[in-house]
Amino acid sequence: MREFHFEIMVEFYFKILPYLTITITYVFFSLLFGFLLGALTAYFRLSKNPVLKAISGAYITVMRCVPSIVFLFLVYYGLPGLMRTHFGIDMNDVDAIVYVIITFSIMLGAYTSEIMRSAYLSVDHGQFEAAVLVGMDSLTAFRRIIFPQALHAAIPNVGNIIIFMLKEGALAYIIGLQDVLGRGYYLNSLKANAYSMETYLALTLIYWPLTLLLEKAFRELEKRHSIAFLIQKKSSGKEVKA
Amino acid sequence: MIAIRNVKKSFGKLSVLQDVSLDIKEGEVVVILGPSGSGKTTLLRCISFLERASAGTIAFGDDVVDLKHASKKDILRTRRREGFVFQSYNLFANKTAFENVYEGLVSGRKVPKKEAKEKALEALDWVGLLDRKDYYPAQLSGGQQQRVGIARAVALEPEVILFDEPTSALDPELVGETLEVIKRVAKRGITMIVVTHEMSFAQDVADKIVFMDGGVVVEEGSPNDIFTHPKEERTKQFLKRIIGEFVYEI
Repeated sequence: MREFHFEIMVEFYFKILPYLTITITYVFFSLLFGFLLGALTAYFRLSKNPVLKAISGAYITVMRCVPSIVFLFLVYYGLPGLMRTHFGIDMNDVDAIVYVIITFSIMLGAYTSEIMRSAYLSVDHGQFEAAVLVGMDSLTAFRRIIFPQALHAAIPNVGNIIIFMLKEGALAYIIGLQDVLGRGYYLNSLKANAYSMETYLALTLIYWPLTLLLEKAFRELEKRHSIAFLIQKKSSGKEVKA
Repeated sequence: MIAIRNVKKSFGKLSVLQDVSLDIKEGEVVVILGPSGSGKTTLLRCISFLERASAGTIAFGDDVVDLKHASKKDILRTRRREGFVFQSYNLFANKTAFENVYEGLVSGRKVPKKEAKEKALEALDWVGLLDRKDYYPAQLSGGQQQRVGIARAVALEPEVILFDEPTSALDPELVGETLEVIKRVAKRGITMIVVTHEMSFAQDVADKIVFMDGGVVVEEGSPNDIFTHPKEERTKQFLKRIIGEFVYEI
């Protein structure tokens, strides 16, 4: 085995690090659009309209069955043709990051809709009934009573989906995007791919703390959102009666 | 006066309510008795729009609302005349006892915050739970939760409070305290419709007893009429069965 060059790893690490902004950009926008699409899909799926239900159901099933990488290629190679022939829009100058965001927004739309649907259903419907019967309209009942509890139920899954996106997004390098992985790949190729171990360890050291941090943050968030925490907060500083 | 007229409800082919009419005078306590599946709960759910009736109306004075075709506005207006106490309490799990009552006043009835706070505390005091005001439902016993549920309904000062088997989910030793509170609501002169299986309670507080079976009102009358001189065979059988069970349990 060849010698491990620690200094190359350090060099790569610091050269790759600035490209984290690219990674964070597509993670952020994919999640943003993904959640919007997911909310709409969940709403359709929970509605009584059979057509909306079927459409959202089919969308979720299709997305679940397609590997991210296949879908990324479909969007990357298929979308420009579709836009040109049907809408006369030329997508030649569109940056690769746009395709990445489109791909993952559509994928996350399906995944997050299931998170939102199950979170919504986890809140006992009786509370909604009680809310509308004290005179709230459905929207207020949702906002004041159902949503905060559904949010709590969704926190662990939301954390998971963000971490999933962070890691799965690395596929973007394959369509030539210079995110952290793309940059590492490029740096290694400049040196005749001689430093693969150094490159991927540097990348691991970038991804790892980030994922750990997210995991910890979401665990803390879940705790702070729990009824048990609220109870503790209320009773701290005064005598607790059994 | 509240007039419920010709309420019908079917779930698919199953007809649960077949033309039920009921008059409730102001301040009257109406207790609905009947075997399970007789449509008692469905009637309460239809007049509060938790279920859409297949036909029928409810009138508060001159304000007649079609139970089948009511608009969102009609529904909101009608619900704001009503209070509802659920079998399974249905307290807001993410709110304290105080907030459960307060939230209804502020978000449901648009009562100004300061006034709502006073009313909520007063209602909790009235059901004997002022010292538990900062407790979450998870920290309260079933009986306490149901008392908060009653406080939530009473604080709204509705024209009628609907009680849907308010003690059925409670442990036997907690039934008494809850019935006591409901009796106090009755004494306050609030109009009430109570669906229950508690016979002695019905006898104590009801001004009128309605016996339902198979989706129709079989018989109605004063507690004395129904319990001592029931006219209909079905009423007699039901009472015999219930009181029979009663003796058996002792």
